Formats: sequence, C-alpha cells, structure tokens
Amino acid sequence: MIAAEKKRWEWEINSKTSYRGAPLLELWSYRHLLASFVRRDFLINYQQTILGPLWMLLQPTLTLFTYVLVFGRLVGLSTGTLPSVLFYFSGIILWNFFNDCFSGTSSTFRDNAHIFSKVYFPRLIVPASVMCTQLIRFGIQLFLLLLMVWYFVQFKDFNPAPNAWFFAFPVAVLAVGAISLGMGLTLSVITAKYRDLAGFVSLGIRLLMFGTPVIYPVTSLPENVRWIVQLNPLTPLFELFRLSLLGEGVVSYNQLAYSFLFTVVLLTGALLLFNKKGDNLIDIV
Amino acid sequence: MAEVVIDVQHLSKLYRLGTIGTGSFRQDLQHWWSTKVRKKNDAFFQAGNATGAAGEDLWALQDVSFDVKKGEALGIIGDNGSGKSTLLKIISRIVRPTQGAVYGTGKVSSLLEVGTGFNNELTGRENIFLSGYILGMTRDEIKRKFDEIVAFSGIERFIDTPVKRYSSGMYVRLAFAVAAHLEPDILIVDEVLAVGDTDFQKKCLGKMREISQSDGRTVLFVSHSMQAVNSLCDKALWLQKGKVQQWGTAAEVVNKYVSSIQKHRLKQEWQLAEEAPGNDFIRMKSVKIIPHLENPTDAIDIRTPLTIRFQYWNMQEDINISTRILLFSFSGECIFNVLSPSVRCYKPGVLEGECTIPGNFLNDGSYYICMNILKDTAIHLLDFNECVSFDMEDYRGDLQWYGKWWGAVRPQFPVYLEQTEMVLS
Repeated sequence: MIAAEKKRWEWEINSKTSYRGAPLLELWSYRHLLASFVRRDFLINYQQTILGPLWMLLQPTLTLFTYVLVFGRLVGLSTGTLPSVLFYFSGIILWNFFNDCFSGTSSTFRDNAHIFSKVYFPRLIVPASVMCTQLIRFGIQLFLLLLMVWYFVQFKDFNPAPNAWFFAFPVAVLAVGAISLGMGLTLSVITAKYRDLAGFVSLGIRLLMFGTPVIYPVTSLPENVRWIVQLNPLTPLFELFRLSLLGEGVVSYNQLAYSFLFTVVLLTGALLLFNKKGDNLIDIV
Repeated sequence: MAEVVIDVQHLSKLYRLGTIGTGSFRQDLQHWWSTKVRKKNDAFFQAGNATGAAGEDLWALQDVSFDVKKGEALGIIGDNGSGKSTLLKIISRIVRPTQGAVYGTGKVSSLLEVGTGFNNELTGRENIFLSGYILGMTRDEIKRKFDEIVAFSGIERFIDTPVKRYSSGMYVRLAFAVAAHLEPDILIVDEVLAVGDTDFQKKCLGKMREISQSDGRTVLFVSHSMQAVNSLCDKALWLQKGKVQQWGTAAEVVNKYVSSIQKHRLKQEWQLAEEAPGNDFIRMKSVKIIPHLENPTDAIDIRTPLTIRFQYWNMQEDINISTRILLFSFSGECIFNVLSPSVRCYKPGVLEGECTIPGNFLNDGSYYICMNILKDTAIHLLDFNECVSFDMEDYRGDLQWYGKWWGAVRPQFPVYLEQTEMVLS
C-alpha cells in the first residue's frame, strides 16, 4: 500500500542531494531558457555602445596590437616561423575563450543568487548558457582569424603546409572549453562559501597564462624548463590548435592523451560536485 | 474526495547562524578533521544540533506536516520570521529541507517576488520572454499569451522600451502580468500583492481568484492580509516559530490568528518596576487598547471606538507630569498627537490615564501608538515608542465603492446635499 502510494508522486524534495543531478530530459526542457540567457548576455553587453557587437572583434584586435608591440617588438619574443600577428591572435582568442568561460562559470552562484533564491530551474543551465555565449563569441573571432590567415596566404607569402590536423581544431577548442567549465564549476561551488578564494584564483589564472603557450611557442623554451609548461594540460591543446590552423605546433599523442584524460576527470568531478553541492549553496551564498 | 497533490511530511529546516563569513573555513576544517579524520564527534557541532538553542542554530521550520488537495487554495499565515517563506522556498525546490520531505504531483511555478529575472537593460518584450522562461513557461505558451500579457499590464506603448526607463508602477505591472499568465498545476505565491497601487492589487487579487477557482489549479499563498486569505483561500495554515499552530479552514484559522495577535499587540503589562521599560524618572506599568466591541472576538473595524489606557510609575517628587499620545500609521505618518493636562505630583507613585479614539474617525489600516511622558509639558522624561498597535478593518456598509478610501482619517461629518432647482420640461 505504501509502495503503491509512493509511486504516484511525480517529484520529491528531501534533504538528500544526488550526484546525478537533473536528468537530461529535464535539462532539455529548459533549452529555451538557456537560449534566452544567451540572448540576454549578447543584448546587454552591447547595449548603449556605439560599436555594439563589433567589440567582440575589436577587443582581441586591440590586445593583438599590444602583444605585437610589447612582446614582439620590445621584448622580442620568438614566434617560430609563423607571422607574429597570426601567432598572437590565435593564442589570444583561444586564451580569451578559456578565461571568459572560466570567469563566467566560476561566479555562477554569486552572480545569480538573486534569481536562484527566488525560482527553481536546473542550476546547470546558467553555466551552460555562459559556455554557449562564449562559444559563439569565439566562433566569430575564429572567423576573423581565418580571414587573417587567408590574407597572409594571399598577400604575405605565408604557406602553411596543408595537413590532416586541420580537422582537429574543434577538438582542441572543446577540450579547452571543457577544462575551463570544469574549473569554473568547481570554483563556483567553493567561492560561493569562501569568497576570498576568488581573488587568489584570478591571480592564478593570470600566472597560468604565462605557463601556457599563448605568447610563445613551446619550441622556443629551453629544454630544461619545457617540462614545466608541458605539465599544464592546456599546453598540448594550444599547440594542437595552432598546428591545425597555422600548420606549426609541437604535439605528441602522449601529451594529448594526458590532456584529454585530465579534461574528462576534471569535468566529471566538477559536474558531480556541482550537482551534489549546488542545491544546498543557496543557503550560504 | 479530491486527489492530494502536495504532501508535506515532518519538514524541518535548520539554519546555522553567525558562522558564515570569516573563520568559517577554519571551522569547517576543524569540523572535518574531528569528524571524518579522527572519527570523533565534534563537541561544538553536536551541542548545537542536539539542543537547537546554542545560539548558533535556528530551526526555521520544525516538523511541519500538511497536505494540499487538487484545486485547493491554501493560505499560509503567521508573524514575520515564522517560517512561511522558508516553507514556500522548500516546496519550490529553492532550498533543501534539513529533515522530512515534500511529495508532489504536477508542475510547480513559484512567484516569490515580482519580476524575477527581469533585466533592466532589456525591453519589455524581451523581459516578458526572459521572465516567462525563468518562471517555467514554454515558448509556445508565451507566444500564445503575449498579447494578453501586454494588455493586462496596460503598457502597450512602452513594450519596446528598456524597462529601466519604466516607472516603478509600470515595471511591477508588467512583471505581475507575466506571472499572472502562468499556467502551472501548482502556483506558489509569496506576498506579491504587497506591491503596486491599490487598484492594481485589487486586479491581482481578482486574477488570483480566477486562477484558483476556474480550472482546478492549486494555489499556495503567503500573505499578511487576512482579508486576502479569507477571500481567496479554502484552507489556511498558521505557522508560529516554525511550527504548525493550526491547520484548517481559512475562516477558522484566520479568526484564531487575528484574535491571538490582537491579544498580544493590544496590551503590554509589567508586574515589577525593575523589569519595565523606562528610566530613573519613569517606568511603564501597562498600556492597553480596549476596543469597544459587542463580541470580543470580532475584528476591530473603522466603526469601533478604542480606548487607550495606560499606567506608569513616577519616581520623582514635586513635579508636573503630562502625557502625550501619538498615533502613527504603519507607514510612519503621524495621524494625530494629543496632550493630557498636567498633573502635580508631590510624592512618587502610579499615574493612570486613558484616552478614547471615537469610532468612525480613523481610516482603515494599521496603526501604532507612541507615548511621551513630559515634565512641565516640555521636557521629555520618557519616550515610549511603538508601545501598542492595532489593525482597523474596512467597513463600507452598503456602499457600492470598493477602492481604497483616501485620506489620513475617515471622519463622518455630515455632508448636506439637496436638489435646489428642478428643470421642468
């Protein structure tokens, strides 16, 4: 009798939180919410700006100028055989993608506390919408990069050897996104309670940029310190990205396997943590 | 008998107070170290959990059980901090209970504030969609009802203007319009009617009634307005300090609640001068409001004369004492202040006085009374603020007008009206 009665309920709320989180079907039913979050993010970012969405392209371009000027001309860092503009720009957009995904998802609870404390929807929708927004931005910036590559091939005598790695760049991008999502979700849970951590982390991320081949190729490093940079799971992914689009980068299968394993473990762990802890966080944000 | 759609069983919610912020990491680490690593019970945590009175813990809800049937409207009433909102938040899946469970059937939408998810930068149109999705509407639903929502809010002209340019009234109207067009099986509403102008509130109440009565939808409704609960709800749940005080038909529970708060708020009394509020000159002894009602359980309405009776100890010799009584509306406006004549006191002792507010004088609303005790009608010996408070219910008799009656007071001076000329045709 009791068993029969229990079956009748469509939902149950109790003190136990699960690692599994919301079923995929439920997430799917919130796809329009996700889409409207993405839309909102785009609309409000460029509200009352003259250049509007052009900022998406202008911002990395301005960074590019600084890098070419500072690291290229003043410091004189080597960019291998690649034109420094292409080298820096590819690094900048991929790094920005990583950085923006990370900072967007890591403040999930703090930025949305006012909504989370008033209405229920699967919390994962918010970081997922951040990822979508950033992927679209990245796509647009990638298009600019491809235009630049085309320009250099046409007019600047730049001849990347066509290779089969070309088709690997979406993998590199998705893996970078997955790492930043994994880190962001983990941190969103931790910083909801311990906010001072956010300060250290933003410093850490800035340092991490110098530990990632964004402004230098791995090959330019002396042999004895190269292993430090190669411990960073982002390194093979950045190199893979450059290899596929610009035809130059140092990647080994072992390093890639290491990166992908790291990505899968991190993201799985982060999702489990987010599901398990996320429902209780609204009490303490 | 209708099907039960929400079943709340032994629900409890514990909040840890004061431990969030600096030092929490250290504390958590200690807790983790002693319970998980050393497998010992942490003395600090255990004491807190077991007694619930360690000053660190607050049981916002304690062993709350009730059920709601399909199509029923349940009003949840209680003082501030009695756990009403926590209960709604648990049923809306926003926070997790500490113990117990809620079982339910059907789609739940909760309106814990007006305009959840509204973004100031976006236009009214964008916000209708955004807010609709956040509240759990589907795209087809919003598209189907879009025109209706806009019409209900009455802001057609501004629909493509960013909502940050809206007046606060327009903002609230648009936000409520979205909410009012939700079609969940179970609707959870928290005090949203406390916003907007009175006419709009009436419109909202009407909409709520339509929702709950027309198509068998279930409504859970928290309110401080007993009138609203009485007229909208079939049943009511009265929470007191996190526990269920009473659960039954709305009229019954509301009556009990009203008479209990009136008993509590209408009277303050102290047996010992040492414990009473006051200072070296004056100590209060009692303040009460005595409504002149035929039946003591009736609510006070605008026709009811009220007598304020007070006593206080005077500790001084040879002094001229007078008392001023101030009546404030709950929004903080002073409605009137009256001053007693001075009394010459040669020896310390108890002073007693009273003042009667006639019936048919105050407007409906909530009021509180402050007292000043004065020396030589000028020097404040004691200001006793917010000593007693009361609610005046509305009474219209057979008037056909139901809007908010304007004015700080509602006296009944005779107004003469007659026809002096007649057009004969």
